[in-house]
Amino acid sequence: MTEKAVQADGICKTYKGFFGKATKVLKNITLEIDEGEIFGLLGPNGSGKTTLISIFSTLIYPEQGSLCILGLDGLKDTDRIRKLINISTAKPNFPWSLTVKENLRHYGMLYGLYGSGLSQIVRDQIDAFELNDFQDLKFEDLSTGLKQRLSLAKAMLNSPRLLFLDEPTTGLDPDISMKTRHLIGKIHKEQNITVLLSTHYMPEAEMLCDRIAFLRKGEIVALDTPQNLKNHLGLGEKVTVQFLGGLDTAELKRVPGVLSVSAFPGKVEIVIDRNAENLDRIVKLFAGAKILDISIKEPDLEDVFIELAR
Amino acid sequence: MNWRGRLNKYLASAYKNWIISRRNIFTLFELFFWPMISLLSIGLLTRFLKVDEGMGSFLLVGAIALTILQVAQIDVAYVLLFDMWSKSIKNTFIAPVHSYHLVFGALLFGILRGSVVFLILVVVSHYLFGFNFLAGGLLPVLIFLAGVFATAAVIGIIVCICILTFGQKADVAAWSLSGLILLFSGIYYPINVLPGPLQTAARAIPLTYFLEYYRSVFIPEPHNLALGALLAALYLVIGLVLFDRAIERARRTGIMLRLSE
Repeated sequence: MTEKAVQADGICKTYKGFFGKATKVLKNITLEIDEGEIFGLLGPNGSGKTTLISIFSTLIYPEQGSLCILGLDGLKDTDRIRKLINISTAKPNFPWSLTVKENLRHYGMLYGLYGSGLSQIVRDQIDAFELNDFQDLKFEDLSTGLKQRLSLAKAMLNSPRLLFLDEPTTGLDPDISMKTRHLIGKIHKEQNITVLLSTHYMPEAEMLCDRIAFLRKGEIVALDTPQNLKNHLGLGEKVTVQFLGGLDTAELKRVPGVLSVSAFPGKVEIVIDRNAENLDRIVKLFAGAKILDISIKEPDLEDVFIELAR
Repeated sequence: MNWRGRLNKYLASAYKNWIISRRNIFTLFELFFWPMISLLSIGLLTRFLKVDEGMGSFLLVGAIALTILQVAQIDVAYVLLFDMWSKSIKNTFIAPVHSYHLVFGALLFGILRGSVVFLILVVVSHYLFGFNFLAGGLLPVLIFLAGVFATAAVIGIIVCICILTFGQKADVAAWSLSGLILLFSGIYYPINVLPGPLQTAARAIPLTYFLEYYRSVFIPEPHNLALGALLAALYLVIGLVLFDRAIERARRTGIMLRLSE
Protein backbone atom coordinates (compact mmCIF):
# COMPACT_ATOMS: atom_id res chain seq x y z
CA MET A 1 0.00 0.00 0.00
CA THR A 2 1.30 3.48 -0.87
CA GLU A 3 2.27 5.59 2.12
CA LYS A 4 0.50 8.91 2.39
CA ALA A 5 2.57 12.07 2.49
CA VAL A 6 -0.46 14.20 3.30
CA GLN A 7 -3.82 13.21 4.71
CA ALA A 8 -6.10 16.17 5.30
CA ASP A 9 -9.68 15.84 6.44
CA GLY A 10 -12.13 18.72 6.77
CA ILE A 11 -9.52 21.50 6.88
CA CYS A 12 -11.06 24.95 7.41
CA LYS A 13 -9.32 28.28 7.83
CA THR A 14 -10.73 31.71 8.56
CA TYR A 15 -8.72 34.92 8.80
CA LYS A 16 -10.09 37.42 11.26
CA GLY A 17 -9.51 41.11 10.69
CA PHE A 18 -8.59 43.55 13.43
CA PHE A 19 -12.20 44.66 13.86
CA GLY A 20 -13.56 41.13 13.85
CA LYS A 21 -14.34 40.84 10.14
CA ALA A 22 -13.82 37.20 9.22
CA THR A 23 -12.88 35.79 5.82
CA LYS A 24 -13.23 32.07 5.32
CA VAL A 25 -10.40 31.09 2.98
CA LEU A 26 -10.56 27.30 3.16
CA LYS A 27 -13.75 25.30 3.41
CA ASN A 28 -13.67 21.66 4.38
CA ILE A 29 -10.62 20.58 2.39
CA THR A 30 -10.20 16.81 2.28
CA LEU A 31 -7.22 15.52 0.38
CA GLU A 32 -4.69 12.69 0.25
CA ILE A 33 -1.29 12.86 -1.42
CA ASP A 34 0.80 9.74 -1.94
CA GLU A 35 4.49 9.62 -1.11
CA GLY A 36 6.62 10.15 -4.19
CA GLU A 37 3.87 11.98 -6.04
CA ILE A 38 4.05 15.45 -7.59
CA PHE A 39 0.72 16.93 -6.69
CA GLY A 40 -0.50 20.19 -8.16
CA LEU A 41 -2.77 22.81 -6.63
CA LEU A 42 -4.31 25.06 -9.25
CA GLY A 43 -6.52 28.04 -8.74
CA PRO A 44 -6.84 31.75 -9.31
CA ASN A 45 -5.52 34.38 -6.92
CA GLY A 46 -7.33 34.21 -3.61
CA SER A 47 -8.49 30.64 -4.08
CA GLY A 48 -6.62 29.49 -0.97
CA LYS A 49 -3.58 27.76 -2.49
CA THR A 50 -0.98 29.57 -0.37
CA THR A 51 -3.05 29.16 2.79
CA LEU A 52 -3.45 25.42 2.15
CA ILE A 53 0.28 24.96 1.50
CA SER A 54 1.06 27.02 4.60
CA ILE A 55 -1.17 24.74 6.67
CA PHE A 56 0.32 21.56 5.21
CA SER A 57 3.81 22.91 5.91
CA THR A 58 2.77 23.73 9.53
CA LEU A 59 3.57 27.42 9.07
CA ILE A 60 0.02 28.23 10.13
CA TYR A 61 -2.70 26.12 11.73
CA PRO A 62 -6.25 25.37 10.62
CA GLU A 63 -9.10 26.04 13.00
CA GLN A 64 -10.87 22.84 12.03
CA GLY A 65 -10.00 19.47 10.59
CA SER A 66 -7.36 16.81 11.02
CA LEU A 67 -4.01 16.69 9.30
CA CYS A 68 -1.44 13.94 8.98
CA ILE A 69 1.92 14.75 7.38
CA LEU A 70 4.28 11.84 6.62
CA GLY A 71 2.48 9.75 9.23
CA LEU A 72 2.79 12.42 11.94
CA ASP A 73 0.04 14.51 13.50
CA GLY A 74 0.09 17.82 11.62
CA LEU A 75 -1.16 19.75 14.63
CA LYS A 76 0.86 18.11 17.41
CA ASP A 77 4.09 16.68 15.97
CA THR A 78 4.96 19.92 14.21
CA ASP A 79 8.58 20.02 15.35
CA ARG A 80 9.26 16.55 13.95
CA ILE A 81 7.40 17.37 10.76
CA ARG A 82 9.45 20.55 10.19
CA LYS A 83 12.62 18.44 10.12
CA LEU A 84 11.18 16.41 7.23
CA ILE A 85 9.71 19.14 5.03
CA ASN A 86 10.71 22.39 3.42
CA ILE A 87 9.17 25.11 1.30
CA SER A 88 10.02 27.42 -1.58
CA THR A 89 7.66 30.28 -2.26
CA ALA A 90 6.72 32.68 -5.03
CA LYS A 91 8.59 35.99 -4.89
CA PRO A 92 11.03 34.53 -2.36
CA ASN A 93 12.48 36.75 0.32
CA PHE A 94 15.61 36.30 2.36
CA PRO A 95 17.66 38.64 4.55
CA TRP A 96 18.76 41.24 2.00
CA SER A 97 22.36 41.75 2.86
CA LEU A 98 23.32 38.10 3.19
CA THR A 99 24.91 36.56 0.10
CA VAL A 100 23.61 33.40 -1.53
CA LYS A 101 26.17 31.30 0.34
CA GLU A 102 25.57 33.06 3.67
CA ASN A 103 21.81 32.63 3.37
CA LEU A 104 22.23 28.92 2.72
CA ARG A 105 24.63 28.62 5.68
CA HIS A 106 22.25 30.51 7.95
CA TYR A 107 19.24 28.35 7.12
CA GLY A 108 21.39 25.21 7.21
CA MET A 109 22.36 26.14 10.77
CA LEU A 110 18.69 26.55 11.71
CA TYR A 111 18.23 22.91 10.62
CA GLY A 112 21.09 21.86 12.93
CA LEU A 113 23.68 21.30 10.20
CA TYR A 114 27.26 22.04 11.21
CA GLY A 115 30.94 21.85 10.34
CA SER A 116 32.14 20.27 7.11
CA GLY A 117 28.74 18.63 6.60
CA LEU A 118 27.08 22.05 6.44
CA SER A 119 29.75 23.39 4.08
CA GLN A 120 29.36 20.36 1.81
CA ILE A 121 25.55 20.63 1.67
CA VAL A 122 25.79 24.35 0.88
CA ARG A 123 28.29 23.60 -1.91
CA ASP A 124 26.07 20.79 -3.24
CA GLN A 125 23.03 23.08 -3.42
CA ILE A 126 25.04 25.85 -5.05
CA ASP A 127 26.18 23.33 -7.67
CA ALA A 128 22.77 21.71 -8.12
CA PHE A 129 21.03 25.03 -8.71
CA GLU A 130 23.84 26.53 -10.78
CA LEU A 131 24.50 29.35 -8.35
CA ASN A 132 28.31 29.10 -8.44
CA ASP A 133 28.81 32.40 -10.23
CA PHE A 134 26.44 34.20 -7.88
CA GLN A 135 27.24 32.67 -4.49
CA ASP A 136 28.92 35.84 -3.22
CA LEU A 137 26.20 38.18 -4.43
CA LYS A 138 23.90 39.68 -1.82
CA PHE A 139 20.26 38.64 -2.00
CA GLU A 140 19.19 42.20 -2.82
CA ASP A 141 21.44 42.13 -5.91
CA LEU A 142 20.01 38.90 -7.37
CA SER A 143 17.64 38.74 -10.33
CA THR A 144 14.17 37.28 -9.81
CA GLY A 145 15.22 34.00 -11.39
CA LEU A 146 18.30 33.71 -9.18
CA LYS A 147 16.22 34.48 -6.09
CA GLN A 148 13.93 31.62 -7.07
CA ARG A 149 16.86 29.28 -7.50
CA LEU A 150 18.20 30.31 -4.09
CA SER A 151 14.78 29.60 -2.62
CA LEU A 152 14.77 26.12 -4.18
CA ALA A 153 18.33 25.52 -2.94
CA LYS A 154 17.28 26.57 0.58
CA ALA A 155 14.33 24.22 0.38
CA MET A 156 16.65 21.27 -0.28
CA LEU A 157 19.08 21.96 2.59
CA ASN A 158 17.54 19.43 4.97
CA SER A 159 16.93 16.79 2.27
CA PRO A 160 13.17 16.98 2.79
CA ARG A 161 10.86 14.05 2.20
CA LEU A 162 8.06 16.45 1.37
CA LEU A 163 8.70 19.65 -0.56
CA PHE A 164 6.19 22.48 -0.89
CA LEU A 165 6.55 24.77 -3.88
CA ASP A 166 4.22 27.73 -3.79
CA GLU A 167 3.98 29.20 -7.30
CA PRO A 168 7.67 28.62 -8.00
CA THR A 169 7.62 30.22 -11.46
CA THR A 170 5.41 33.25 -10.83
CA GLY A 171 7.02 36.39 -12.19
CA LEU A 172 9.81 34.55 -14.00
CA ASP A 173 10.69 34.96 -17.68
CA PRO A 174 9.47 32.05 -19.84
CA ASP A 175 12.97 30.59 -20.31
CA ILE A 176 13.74 30.80 -16.59
CA SER A 177 10.32 29.30 -15.81
CA MET A 178 11.11 26.36 -18.07
CA LYS A 179 14.51 25.94 -16.44
CA THR A 180 12.92 26.01 -13.00
CA ARG A 181 10.38 23.37 -14.05
CA HIS A 182 13.18 21.14 -15.28
CA LEU A 183 14.99 21.63 -11.96
CA ILE A 184 11.86 20.64 -10.04
CA GLY A 185 11.43 17.57 -12.22
CA LYS A 186 15.09 16.69 -11.70
CA ILE A 187 14.89 17.04 -7.92
CA HIS A 188 11.84 14.82 -7.82
CA LYS A 189 13.34 12.20 -10.10
CA GLU A 190 16.73 12.02 -8.42
CA GLN A 191 15.59 12.18 -4.81
CA ASN A 192 12.13 10.64 -5.11
CA ILE A 193 10.61 13.22 -2.80
CA THR A 194 6.97 14.13 -2.63
CA VAL A 195 6.25 17.53 -4.13
CA LEU A 196 3.17 19.66 -3.54
CA LEU A 197 3.18 22.42 -6.10
CA SER A 198 0.81 25.33 -6.45
CA THR A 199 0.65 27.18 -9.71
CA HIS A 200 -1.41 29.42 -11.97
CA TYR A 201 -0.05 27.77 -15.06
CA MET A 202 -1.79 24.84 -16.69
CA PRO A 203 1.27 23.85 -18.78
CA GLU A 204 3.38 23.75 -15.63
CA ALA A 205 0.90 21.49 -13.89
CA GLU A 206 0.62 19.29 -16.96
CA MET A 207 4.37 19.00 -17.31
CA LEU A 208 5.10 18.17 -13.69
CA CYS A 209 2.08 16.88 -11.82
CA ASP A 210 0.79 13.34 -11.41
CA ARG A 211 -2.49 14.69 -10.06
CA ILE A 212 -4.08 18.10 -9.75
CA ALA A 213 -6.62 19.62 -7.40
CA PHE A 214 -8.46 22.75 -8.53
CA LEU A 215 -9.23 25.22 -5.80
CA ARG A 216 -11.86 27.87 -6.12
CA LYS A 217 -13.00 30.11 -3.30
CA GLY A 218 -11.41 27.82 -0.73
CA GLU A 219 -12.93 24.59 -2.02
CA ILE A 220 -11.59 21.75 -4.12
CA VAL A 221 -13.82 21.70 -7.20
CA ALA A 222 -11.98 18.96 -9.10
CA LEU A 223 -9.22 16.45 -8.41
CA ASP A 224 -7.70 14.02 -10.91
CA THR A 225 -4.78 13.47 -13.26
CA PRO A 226 -4.27 16.34 -15.73
CA GLN A 227 -5.33 14.18 -18.66
CA ASN A 228 -8.43 12.82 -16.97
CA LEU A 229 -9.47 16.30 -15.93
CA LYS A 230 -9.22 17.61 -19.45
CA ASN A 231 -10.93 14.59 -20.92
CA HIS A 232 -13.62 14.68 -18.31
CA LEU A 233 -14.17 18.37 -18.77
CA GLY A 234 -13.78 18.29 -22.53
CA LEU A 235 -10.86 20.64 -22.39
CA GLY A 236 -8.60 19.54 -25.17
CA GLU A 237 -7.12 21.92 -27.70
CA LYS A 238 -9.70 24.12 -29.36
CA VAL A 239 -9.40 24.06 -33.16
CA THR A 240 -11.38 26.84 -34.83
CA VAL A 241 -11.99 26.48 -38.56
CA GLN A 242 -13.55 29.19 -40.70
CA PHE A 243 -14.79 27.88 -44.02
CA LEU A 244 -17.11 28.27 -46.98
CA GLY A 245 -19.36 25.39 -48.00
CA GLY A 246 -20.89 22.40 -46.23
CA LEU A 247 -19.63 20.23 -43.40
CA ASP A 248 -20.90 16.98 -41.83
CA THR A 249 -20.59 17.80 -38.14
CA ALA A 250 -21.96 14.37 -37.12
CA GLU A 251 -19.03 12.74 -38.95
CA LEU A 252 -16.70 15.18 -37.25
CA LYS A 253 -17.94 14.14 -33.81
CA ARG A 254 -17.16 10.52 -34.62
CA VAL A 255 -13.45 11.18 -35.24
CA PRO A 256 -11.45 9.55 -32.42
CA GLY A 257 -10.06 12.18 -30.05
CA VAL A 258 -12.72 14.78 -30.86
CA LEU A 259 -14.19 15.79 -27.53
CA SER A 260 -16.83 18.29 -28.68
CA VAL A 261 -18.00 20.17 -31.76
CA SER A 262 -19.74 23.55 -31.82
CA ALA A 263 -20.99 24.59 -35.25
CA PHE A 264 -21.79 28.18 -36.29
CA PRO A 265 -22.52 29.63 -39.74
CA GLY A 266 -19.18 29.51 -41.60
CA LYS A 267 -17.30 28.46 -38.48
CA VAL A 268 -16.83 25.38 -36.37
CA GLU A 269 -15.06 24.98 -33.02
CA ILE A 270 -13.70 21.50 -32.41
CA VAL A 271 -12.20 20.48 -29.08
CA ILE A 272 -9.72 17.66 -29.52
CA ASP A 273 -7.64 15.57 -27.19
CA ARG A 274 -4.21 17.09 -27.72
CA ASN A 275 -2.50 13.69 -27.51
CA ALA A 276 -4.59 12.22 -30.32
CA GLU A 277 -2.97 12.57 -33.74
CA ASN A 278 -6.19 13.29 -35.55
CA LEU A 279 -5.85 16.74 -37.07
CA ASP A 280 -5.21 15.17 -40.44
CA ARG A 281 -8.53 13.24 -40.32
CA ILE A 282 -10.37 16.36 -39.27
CA VAL A 283 -8.98 18.42 -42.12
CA LYS A 284 -10.02 15.70 -44.61
CA LEU A 285 -13.64 16.17 -43.57
CA PHE A 286 -13.43 19.71 -44.96
CA ALA A 287 -12.73 18.31 -48.45
CA GLY A 288 -16.02 19.68 -49.78
CA ALA A 289 -15.47 23.13 -48.31
CA LYS A 290 -12.99 25.96 -48.73
CA ILE A 291 -11.00 26.55 -45.54
CA LEU A 292 -10.45 30.26 -44.89
CA ASP A 293 -8.61 30.04 -41.58
CA ILE A 294 -7.55 27.52 -38.93
CA SER A 295 -6.42 28.39 -35.42
CA ILE A 296 -5.45 26.10 -32.57
CA LYS A 297 -5.65 27.19 -28.95
CA GLU A 298 -4.39 25.18 -26.00
CA PRO A 299 -6.71 24.98 -23.03
CA ASP A 300 -5.72 27.26 -20.20
CA LEU A 301 -6.68 27.71 -16.61
CA GLU A 302 -9.49 30.01 -17.56
CA ASP A 303 -11.02 27.34 -19.80
CA VAL A 304 -10.82 24.84 -16.98
CA PHE A 305 -12.52 27.13 -14.54
CA ILE A 306 -15.19 28.24 -16.92
CA GLU A 307 -15.97 24.59 -17.45
CA LEU A 308 -15.85 23.74 -13.78
CA ALA A 309 -18.20 26.59 -12.97
CA ARG A 310 -20.97 25.21 -15.19
CA MET B 1 21.12 15.58 16.46
CA ASN B 2 24.37 15.92 18.41
CA TRP B 3 25.44 18.89 20.54
CA ARG B 4 27.14 20.69 17.64
CA GLY B 5 23.95 20.57 15.61
CA ARG B 6 21.93 21.83 18.56
CA LEU B 7 24.51 24.56 19.21
CA ASN B 8 24.33 25.70 15.59
CA LYS B 9 20.59 26.24 15.87
CA TYR B 10 21.42 28.88 18.48
CA LEU B 11 24.38 30.28 16.58
CA ALA B 12 22.31 30.73 13.39
CA SER B 13 20.76 33.94 14.73
CA ALA B 14 24.10 35.30 15.93
CA TYR B 15 25.58 34.52 12.49
CA LYS B 16 22.77 36.35 10.68
CA ASN B 17 22.89 39.40 12.99
CA TRP B 18 26.68 39.55 12.73
CA ILE B 19 26.68 39.61 8.92
CA ILE B 20 23.85 42.13 8.67
CA SER B 21 25.50 44.41 11.23
CA ARG B 22 28.89 44.07 9.54
CA ARG B 23 27.45 45.21 6.21
CA ASN B 24 25.48 48.14 7.61
CA ILE B 25 27.47 51.34 8.01
CA PHE B 26 24.83 52.65 10.40
CA THR B 27 25.83 49.93 12.85
CA LEU B 28 28.63 52.35 13.70
CA PHE B 29 25.98 54.76 14.95
CA GLU B 30 24.68 52.09 17.31
CA LEU B 31 28.15 51.13 18.48
CA PHE B 32 29.89 54.48 18.67
CA PHE B 33 27.82 57.54 17.85
CA TRP B 34 24.86 57.26 20.21
CA PRO B 35 26.85 55.69 23.09
CA MET B 36 29.42 58.49 22.87
CA ILE B 37 26.72 61.17 22.67
CA SER B 38 25.07 59.68 25.74
CA LEU B 39 28.28 59.37 27.75
CA LEU B 40 29.69 62.77 26.78
CA SER B 41 26.47 64.65 27.44
CA ILE B 42 26.09 63.13 30.90
CA GLY B 43 29.79 63.49 31.65
CA LEU B 44 29.75 67.17 30.69
CA LEU B 45 26.59 67.67 32.72
CA THR B 46 28.39 66.37 35.82
CA ARG B 47 31.12 68.99 35.21
CA PHE B 48 28.62 71.77 34.70
CA LEU B 49 26.78 70.88 37.88
CA LYS B 50 30.10 70.38 39.69
CA VAL B 51 28.80 67.18 41.26
CA ASP B 52 31.03 65.25 43.63
CA GLU B 53 32.80 62.05 42.63
CA GLY B 54 30.10 59.81 44.06
CA MET B 55 27.29 61.59 42.22
CA GLY B 56 29.39 61.63 39.04
CA SER B 57 29.82 57.86 39.22
CA PHE B 58 26.07 57.50 39.88
CA LEU B 59 25.21 59.31 36.66
CA LEU B 60 27.93 57.73 34.52
CA VAL B 61 26.99 54.21 35.65
CA GLY B 62 23.40 55.00 34.62
CA ALA B 63 24.46 56.37 31.23
CA ILE B 64 26.65 53.36 30.48
CA ALA B 65 24.01 50.88 31.69
CA LEU B 66 21.32 52.43 29.50
CA THR B 67 23.58 52.47 26.46
CA ILE B 68 24.60 48.81 26.78
CA LEU B 69 21.00 47.84 27.47
CA GLN B 70 19.84 49.55 24.28
CA VAL B 71 22.52 47.91 22.15
CA ALA B 72 21.89 44.40 23.50
CA GLN B 73 18.09 44.59 23.53
CA ILE B 74 17.93 45.76 19.93
CA ASP B 75 20.12 42.81 18.94
CA VAL B 76 17.63 40.40 20.49
CA ALA B 77 14.77 42.23 18.78
CA TYR B 78 16.69 42.20 15.47
CA VAL B 79 16.28 38.43 15.35
CA LEU B 80 12.69 39.03 14.22
CA LEU B 81 12.99 42.61 12.96
CA PHE B 82 15.47 41.67 10.22
CA ASP B 83 13.21 38.80 9.13
CA MET B 84 10.14 41.02 9.23
CA TRP B 85 11.75 43.85 7.26
CA SER B 86 13.02 41.41 4.62
CA LYS B 87 9.69 39.52 4.67
CA SER B 88 11.49 36.25 5.29
CA ILE B 89 9.88 35.25 8.57
CA LYS B 90 8.29 32.17 7.05
CA ASN B 91 11.72 30.78 6.16
CA THR B 92 12.72 30.95 9.82
CA PHE B 93 9.54 29.46 11.23
CA ILE B 94 9.25 26.67 8.68
CA ALA B 95 12.47 25.35 10.28
CA PRO B 96 12.35 23.35 13.53
CA VAL B 97 13.32 26.25 15.80
CA HIS B 98 11.99 27.54 19.11
CA SER B 99 12.04 30.89 20.83
CA TYR B 100 15.08 29.99 22.92
CA HIS B 101 17.18 29.22 19.81
CA LEU B 102 16.42 32.66 18.41
CA VAL B 103 16.72 34.62 21.66
CA PHE B 104 19.94 33.12 22.99
CA GLY B 105 21.65 33.19 19.58
CA ALA B 106 20.79 36.85 19.12
CA LEU B 107 21.63 37.62 22.75
CA LEU B 108 25.07 36.11 22.27
CA PHE B 109 25.76 38.65 19.54
CA GLY B 110 24.14 41.36 21.67
CA ILE B 111 26.50 40.52 24.53
CA LEU B 112 29.43 40.75 22.14
CA ARG B 113 28.37 44.14 20.81
CA GLY B 114 27.35 45.37 24.25
CA SER B 115 30.75 44.36 25.64
CA VAL B 116 32.55 46.26 22.87
CA VAL B 117 30.47 49.36 23.65
CA PHE B 118 31.10 48.88 27.36
CA LEU B 119 34.87 48.71 26.91
CA ILE B 120 34.86 51.84 24.76
CA LEU B 121 32.76 53.76 27.27
CA VAL B 122 34.87 52.58 30.21
CA VAL B 123 38.04 53.80 28.52
CA VAL B 124 36.50 57.12 27.44
CA SER B 125 34.91 57.80 30.85
CA HIS B 126 38.24 57.05 32.53
CA TYR B 127 40.27 59.41 30.37
CA LEU B 128 37.74 62.22 30.03
CA PHE B 129 36.00 62.15 33.39
CA GLY B 130 38.43 60.25 35.62
CA PHE B 131 35.86 57.56 36.39
CA ASN B 132 37.33 54.14 37.12
CA PHE B 133 34.65 51.59 36.33
CA LEU B 134 36.82 48.77 37.67
CA ALA B 135 37.34 50.39 41.08
CA GLY B 136 35.41 47.61 42.80
CA GLY B 137 37.17 44.81 40.94
CA LEU B 138 36.14 42.64 38.01
CA LEU B 139 33.45 40.53 39.69
CA PRO B 140 31.01 43.39 40.41
CA VAL B 141 31.42 44.55 36.81
CA LEU B 142 30.61 41.08 35.48
CA ILE B 143 27.58 40.77 37.78
CA PHE B 144 26.39 44.23 36.74
CA LEU B 145 26.80 43.41 33.04
CA ALA B 146 24.98 40.09 33.51
CA GLY B 147 22.03 42.01 34.96
CA VAL B 148 22.03 44.53 32.12
CA PHE B 149 22.17 41.78 29.48
CA ALA B 150 19.43 39.74 31.18
CA THR B 151 17.17 42.81 31.27
CA ALA B 152 18.04 43.48 27.61
CA ALA B 153 17.02 39.93 26.71
CA VAL B 154 13.66 40.36 28.43
CA ILE B 155 12.99 43.64 26.60
CA GLY B 156 14.04 42.07 23.27
CA ILE B 157 11.66 39.18 23.91
CA ILE B 158 8.81 41.61 24.63
CA VAL B 159 9.51 43.36 21.31
CA CYS B 160 9.42 39.99 19.48
CA ILE B 161 6.13 39.10 21.17
CA CYS B 162 4.69 42.50 20.13
CA ILE B 163 5.72 41.91 16.51
CA LEU B 164 4.14 38.45 16.38
CA THR B 165 0.99 39.71 18.09
CA PHE B 166 0.40 43.09 16.47
CA GLY B 167 2.32 42.78 13.20
CA GLN B 168 4.70 45.16 11.47
CA LYS B 169 3.58 48.34 13.19
CA ALA B 170 4.84 46.98 16.49
CA ASP B 171 8.47 47.50 15.50
CA VAL B 172 8.28 50.90 17.19
CA ALA B 173 8.37 48.95 20.46
CA ALA B 174 11.98 48.09 19.71
CA TRP B 175 13.02 51.67 20.41
CA SER B 176 10.34 52.64 22.91
CA LEU B 177 10.60 50.09 25.67
CA SER B 178 14.07 51.14 26.78
CA GLY B 179 12.53 54.60 27.36
CA LEU B 180 10.40 53.06 30.08
CA ILE B 181 13.51 51.57 31.65
CA LEU B 182 15.07 55.04 31.60
CA LEU B 183 12.07 56.42 33.43
CA PHE B 184 11.48 53.64 35.94
CA SER B 185 14.64 51.81 36.90
CA GLY B 186 16.75 54.61 38.34
CA ILE B 187 19.11 55.28 35.48
CA TYR B 188 19.77 58.91 36.39
CA TYR B 189 18.13 59.18 39.82
CA PRO B 190 17.42 56.89 42.77
CA ILE B 191 13.99 55.33 42.50
CA ASN B 192 12.87 56.78 45.84
CA VAL B 193 12.27 60.10 44.04
CA LEU B 194 9.52 58.40 42.00
CA PRO B 195 5.88 58.59 43.11
CA GLY B 196 4.77 55.56 45.17
CA PRO B 197 3.13 53.43 42.41
CA LEU B 198 6.04 54.07 40.07
CA GLN B 199 8.46 52.91 42.78
CA THR B 200 6.55 49.64 42.85
CA ALA B 201 6.94 49.39 39.09
CA ALA B 202 10.66 50.15 39.44
CA ARG B 203 10.99 47.36 42.00
CA ALA B 204 9.62 44.94 39.39
CA ILE B 205 12.49 45.70 36.97
CA PRO B 206 15.65 43.59 37.48
CA LEU B 207 17.94 46.36 36.23
CA THR B 208 16.95 48.51 39.22
CA TYR B 209 18.59 46.02 41.57
CA PHE B 210 21.71 45.56 39.45
CA LEU B 211 22.17 49.33 39.26
CA GLU B 212 21.80 49.64 43.04
CA TYR B 213 24.27 46.80 43.51
CA TYR B 214 26.90 48.27 41.25
CA ARG B 215 26.50 51.80 42.56
CA SER B 216 26.99 50.46 46.08
CA VAL B 217 30.60 49.83 45.05
CA PHE B 218 31.06 53.60 44.78
CA ILE B 219 28.44 54.90 47.23
CA PRO B 220 27.76 52.33 49.96
CA GLU B 221 23.99 51.78 50.04
CA PRO B 222 21.81 48.73 50.76
CA HIS B 223 20.88 46.60 47.75
CA ASN B 224 19.08 43.35 47.00
CA LEU B 225 21.04 41.71 44.23
CA ALA B 226 19.53 38.28 44.86
CA LEU B 227 16.01 39.57 44.21
CA GLY B 228 17.19 41.26 41.01
CA ALA B 229 18.79 38.03 39.80
CA LEU B 230 15.69 36.05 40.71
CA LEU B 231 13.43 38.48 38.85
CA ALA B 232 15.71 38.41 35.79
CA ALA B 233 15.70 34.61 35.69
CA LEU B 234 11.94 34.49 36.25
CA TYR B 235 11.23 37.02 33.51
CA LEU B 236 13.50 35.21 31.09
CA VAL B 237 11.68 31.91 31.61
CA ILE B 238 8.24 33.55 31.45
CA GLY B 239 9.34 35.59 28.42
CA LEU B 240 10.48 32.50 26.52
CA VAL B 241 7.25 30.67 27.32
CA LEU B 242 5.20 33.68 26.17
CA PHE B 243 7.36 34.04 23.05
CA ASP B 244 6.65 30.41 22.12
CA ARG B 245 2.95 31.03 22.76
CA ALA B 246 3.10 34.15 20.58
CA ILE B 247 4.63 32.03 17.79
CA GLU B 248 1.84 29.48 18.14
CA ARG B 249 -0.78 32.24 18.21
CA ALA B 250 0.74 33.82 15.08
CA ARG B 251 0.40 30.43 13.38
CA ARG B 252 -3.25 30.18 14.44
CA THR B 253 -4.20 33.72 13.41
CA GLY B 254 -2.20 33.67 10.19
CA ILE B 255 -0.05 36.68 11.18
CA MET B 256 2.94 34.44 10.51
CA LEU B 257 1.94 34.36 6.85
CA ARG B 258 1.04 38.05 6.63
CA LEU B 259 4.41 39.06 8.06
CA SER B 260 6.02 37.37 5.06
CA GLU B 261 3.90 39.10 2.42
